[in-house]
Amino acid sequence: MKTRITCCIFVLVLWACDETINPKPVDLLVDDLALNEPGDVANVEIGLYSAFRGMVYNTIIAGDLTADMMLHNGTFSQYREIGIKQITSANASAAELWAGIYYTAYIANFILERLPDLPGVPTAQRQRVLGTAHFLRGYAYFIGTYTFGGIPRVTSTDFETNRNIARSDRQEILNLIVEDYGAAINTLPAQAANAGFATTLAVRAALAKLYLYTGNWAQAETFASEVINSNEFTLEPDFSDVVLTDFTSEAIFEVGYTIADDPGTLNTLFEGRREIIPSNETIIALASTESGDRFSSIAFNVLNLKGNDNGWTIRKYGTAVDDNNNIVIFRLPEMYLIRAEARAQQGRATGANSARDDVNVLRSRANAPLVGVVSQAQMLTVIENERRMELAFEGHRWYDLVRTNRATAVMTAFSPNWKDTYLLWPVPQRELQNNPALANDQNPGY
Amino acid sequence: MGRILLLFWLTISVIASALGQRVSGQVVSAVEPDGLPGVNIVVKGTNTGVITDLQGRFTIDIPLNGVLIFSFIGYRTQEVVYTGQASINVRLEEEPRELSEVVVTGYSSVLKKDITGSITSVDPDRYRELSINGVDQALQGQAAGVQVTQSSGTPGGGISVRIRGSTSIGASNRPLFIIDGIPVETGSLSGRSFGGQSDNALALFNPADYEAPQILKDASAKALYGSRASNGVIILTSKKGKRGSTRMEAEVQRGVIDPVKKVDLLNSRELLELQREAVRNAGENPDALGLIAGVTDAVNTDWLDEVFRRGIMEQYQISASGGDDNTTFYMNASYRGEEGVQLNNKFERMSFSSNLERKVNQKFTLGSNITLSRSLNKRVKGDNFLDGVYSGAIKSLPYYTPYDENGTLVWPGSPLYPGFPNFNPVAQAVLPRFDVFTTKVLASLNGTYQLLPELRLRAQTSIDYNDVTEDQYESSKTAIGGVLTSVGGRGYGIFNATTLTNFISNATLFYNKNISDRHHINVLAGTEVLQNFERSGSVQGRLFPSDDFTYIASAGIVDAGSSFRSRGGLFSVFSEVRYDFMEKILVTASMRADGSSNFGPGKKFGYFPAVSAAWRLSDEEFLSFGTISDLKLRASFGYSGNERIPAFGFLGTWSATTYNGNSGTAPGNIGNPNIRWETTQELNVGVDLGLWEDRVQATLDAYINNTSGLLLGRPYAATTGFASIQDNVGKLQNKGIELMVETVNIDRVIKWTTSINLSRNLNKVVALTDTVPLFRGYQAEGTNATNIVKVGEPLGTFIGLKFLGVNPATGDAIYDDSNNDGQINNDDAVVIGNAQPKLFGGVTNRVAYGRFDLSAFFQFSLGNKILNFANATLLNAGQDIENNQVKAALRRWRKPGDITDVPRYELGAKNNFNNLHSSRLVEDGSYLRLKNVNVGYQLSPKLADRLKLQSVRVFLSATNLWTLTRYSGADPEVSTLDGSTTAQGIDFFTLPQVRTVSVGLNASLK
Repeated sequence: MKTRITCCIFVLVLWACDETINPKPVDLLVDDLALNEPGDVANVEIGLYSAFRGMVYNTIIAGDLTADMMLHNGTFSQYREIGIKQITSANASAAELWAGIYYTAYIANFILERLPDLPGVPTAQRQRVLGTAHFLRGYAYFIGTYTFGGIPRVTSTDFETNRNIARSDRQEILNLIVEDYGAAINTLPAQAANAGFATTLAVRAALAKLYLYTGNWAQAETFASEVINSNEFTLEPDFSDVVLTDFTSEAIFEVGYTIADDPGTLNTLFEGRREIIPSNETIIALASTESGDRFSSIAFNVLNLKGNDNGWTIRKYGTAVDDNNNIVIFRLPEMYLIRAEARAQQGRATGANSARDDVNVLRSRANAPLVGVVSQAQMLTVIENERRMELAFEGHRWYDLVRTNRATAVMTAFSPNWKDTYLLWPVPQRELQNNPALANDQNPGY
Repeated sequence: MGRILLLFWLTISVIASALGQRVSGQVVSAVEPDGLPGVNIVVKGTNTGVITDLQGRFTIDIPLNGVLIFSFIGYRTQEVVYTGQASINVRLEEEPRELSEVVVTGYSSVLKKDITGSITSVDPDRYRELSINGVDQALQGQAAGVQVTQSSGTPGGGISVRIRGSTSIGASNRPLFIIDGIPVETGSLSGRSFGGQSDNALALFNPADYEAPQILKDASAKALYGSRASNGVIILTSKKGKRGSTRMEAEVQRGVIDPVKKVDLLNSRELLELQREAVRNAGENPDALGLIAGVTDAVNTDWLDEVFRRGIMEQYQISASGGDDNTTFYMNASYRGEEGVQLNNKFERMSFSSNLERKVNQKFTLGSNITLSRSLNKRVKGDNFLDGVYSGAIKSLPYYTPYDENGTLVWPGSPLYPGFPNFNPVAQAVLPRFDVFTTKVLASLNGTYQLLPELRLRAQTSIDYNDVTEDQYESSKTAIGGVLTSVGGRGYGIFNATTLTNFISNATLFYNKNISDRHHINVLAGTEVLQNFERSGSVQGRLFPSDDFTYIASAGIVDAGSSFRSRGGLFSVFSEVRYDFMEKILVTASMRADGSSNFGPGKKFGYFPAVSAAWRLSDEEFLSFGTISDLKLRASFGYSGNERIPAFGFLGTWSATTYNGNSGTAPGNIGNPNIRWETTQELNVGVDLGLWEDRVQATLDAYINNTSGLLLGRPYAATTGFASIQDNVGKLQNKGIELMVETVNIDRVIKWTTSINLSRNLNKVVALTDTVPLFRGYQAEGTNATNIVKVGEPLGTFIGLKFLGVNPATGDAIYDDSNNDGQINNDDAVVIGNAQPKLFGGVTNRVAYGRFDLSAFFQFSLGNKILNFANATLLNAGQDIENNQVKAALRRWRKPGDITDVPRYELGAKNNFNNLHSSRLVEDGSYLRLKNVNVGYQLSPKLADRLKLQSVRVFLSATNLWTLTRYSGADPEVSTLDGSTTAQGIDFFTLPQVRTVSVGLNASLK
């Protein structure tokens, strides 16, 4: 009796052992199961877009808060530093953007390494997802190199390699981007469910932008024209729809949020907390006659007017309730502006098929006065201002000023703290500390 | 006939001698010289027994040469032989409880004098009448080596307990709490953040249900808890019934609660003057900004008075215990309600417990302990929340008012209080509903079977079940429900439900053998299975029709919901061997092997051995002289572990994500198949000393604990795609010395005793990977973070610029350019202080005179620093004009030549130089606090009898009556990041401790 009781207890306990210490993970997949059957492909594709979306909002901070578009009006030091032009290498926005680029690259690399050998995947889907991986990795590196300069060129998922990896120079990064876009342009579909997913036209738009940035005017014009002439996209008649709605008829590619999965980052910064508000220069520009309807990008409330607060609010990302929280990557007007700049640079400021034609397409949509006869230099200035008004708060201004070598002049006038150090963001301090190959390779001035 | 008579006579005499003679007498004691009632008197070897009456008198029948046993709780049992005396008068002596005490060491128990490790026991009398929520709070200042910090004055809020310092950076630092053999949930049960202050699972237990807490501190004492013991183990055993008549007790306690201190803030006139100066210094016109003297400051609101109230504390309990030869029982029902000093903040608990023990037969005993408890915590937001109540009250401008002229609450948008960056704190207190309902069931069934005279089997199966329901609604007139555009301005509701369940079963064999009365051997071997299950679900709703509809059933949009479950477990075998030679030389060796679900294949099992030895010198001939009544040397060495890390860190995993209305998966973390336990190697030496028949007792311990393999998120270059990987990278050391002294200073009509405990713990980070420091705490300007984990420094180290003073010529701050590069930036940040005290402890004096007793308990902490992070806002050199300032701002620099430590105020985000994060915000946090005063009076037995009661005690108890400190904030005893190890001692709008004054009455019913 005694022995039996004892034995029973010990046997029960031992039987419980295995079940106790080897439970299955809940709602998690281990690495090797993440992409090991055809059904996983769609999931990983969504994961890649999700990572890419997580990266993009910081390009708005980089493109507009680093420049003269926005003012800091809150308490977070990461935005204060950028707003008052005292950016340090510990800046959290820089670290977030950097991490977002490489997190996107990791998933893209994961797909590029594993998907080609995964059996049973329909060809169209395989092509599309591989193309997406190339395209989003390419665009991530595009943002990376124009934000941080030469950056590590990570093309595998090997941790040991990627923990200790030096910068490549900008040209090597650009080469990778051209390769990636080249691979994507023929594999992505011509159309997608909505502008939240990449298409071959999105790649063409990206190429137009790439060639604009690298000064290859002819190519920039060609690709911009391909997008414009595809007739897939039409300008919204009313500009305020561009500000207040998602997936407009002119959207080429934007990252999509639904009400349910909006983390509220930008709308909290711009509307909820009003951590960041439009600068006085931006308000003046948007309120000008040339701006026309584009004034609808901002709104004024007298109750907010106090202290340093000019009372104006950026409406672009609305509130979560408004559901205009998508972040535009490319829309049709940018193609007109790219082509306008490329044409002006090629000596076609006015005349047939000229920069003026392109700019006036946007002016007339905005019910603003058309551009008349101007010189090439004047046209370039017109385009600079037009970009500021048309593409306000979509993260372009700083990148534009830097690539046209206008940053020093414009920014010195804007802020007494400006230094040319801020032509690039700092490599995040934690990267210098954790990646031995970057240890002494900070951008100049930081 | 004669025969018959003779027979009758003989019979009578036999009966008479069996019954014995009737004898009477009186029992007295030092406290009750007029007679001690209720003393149990039994004739040895029989069932005959009586109890003394109110005068201590008794009458009993006893045969000649029979033995009377006199026993009474708290007194030494006496035996008296009846030799025909006319009366028997006995004086019972109070029990010197220390040495004969049985100490429960977890799976077994041992006489206190035979302990070889470092174990401290806390007498429940020390906290019985304090107004405390949980037993962890009771330990504050009572035991050497145990640092207990209440993070704020929030009722039912977080309490941090650290035994011999912090042993971990990434994993939990809370000790393991074992109640009746069940490892119970500790820390926060609620899933929602309230800005800093969390709730506390231990507040669900009624401290009165438990015997003296035992604190296991060294490797030897803790070894049987293996992988969970690094942070120390605290053992609680519930009260059991005792043989004898049923004893019923009722207790009532009520009191008032106030904050210990208010922060000194500027009034409207002072603030306006300062703001106008700040604006002028920035070259702007204050009138244009609406800062108009005589207009703006026409209103002067004391916001702290508006959100504070005097809280009421009430506690009622009733208990019964007793039993016969075969069955004993204890049962208790209690209610406790404690109102916070903030409006609308309250913690309530109802608890029921019952313990039964039944001797089924000579060999088999069954027992059961059941505790059922339910709390309602009405919380308010605080600390680092823009819409917190206390934080909002401190920051609010005195120009604004909580109510309009009609007496209705002002809500955001009104010119009386526009909102953002602060919100009307009265509305934030009164309008939201943050109800947390917690139900706890702690139940166990155990059986003990005597297999052989030397061999015993004990098995127990138990459950710790916790159900937390959080019911929240923020109305359309609050910051979140009304202002936050992403919510929609029409109310915001959240409903969360979480269930945490732990099943624990164990079986243990005990063997003890005495060889020739000189060698005693005790062996224990057992096995245990622990499984934990967690389920949770939540749903969020917005856009309610009006504030009359506050449940999610009425929400216009139900747009966020989730559910989850997880499980984990631990499987263990353990053994302990104790040997002693004539109770003089004592040796203990123990070992536990734990297998945990938190680790990967091949790494699941960890082994934790320990040995200890003690030598009772006072039993040796050469030391047996009068002065030394007890002298024991102890030493122990062993290993303990910490397995409390997030589950599945050994796997690289992908989790669900969404994009553009589609679901998918994305990588969550990198797996590290090699992660293992954090292991602490502990060495302890100690001396126990008793002098003059134990009138002076002292215990001195010294230890060195080296923790290696600290589980840290090792920072990874983000180029890998990930920020960090869990790995065993760090090393920590804690070394320290602890002293406890208890003395009986006077033992006559007046009895005066003193107990002192002193602790010094030196904590140091010995190694981190790559020597890269880890930044913790808050973001701040002028440094990478407020806290740093750095090799060579202790945990809780503050960094920042070194503030050298204010330039008398310009009024600007001067910082140390520590790297001499000609500019002040983050790279100049240096270590500017540490939250760890150099010395801490407590002193309790107790005086008893007749039926009166008085105790006073002082607690102190010496040499710790506090980061007054609130002053980055409240003494902000004009960075903004949206927050009130502390009185110290009146000392600001105003004109060239001023010598001061507060820089010039100049409005503007463009110049925050004077408010960079610096040593200006670090203050000395040393304090001496009269933590508790307790006065009690035991009514005379006659009076009690007149009230038809057995005994009556009335008492008055007060906490936090007086504090000596140089700290400029409201309270040095606060920590905003409740439970944090790397960023403790930060005051970021943290609610100060409260002062409670209460009276109570305890009656034993007849």
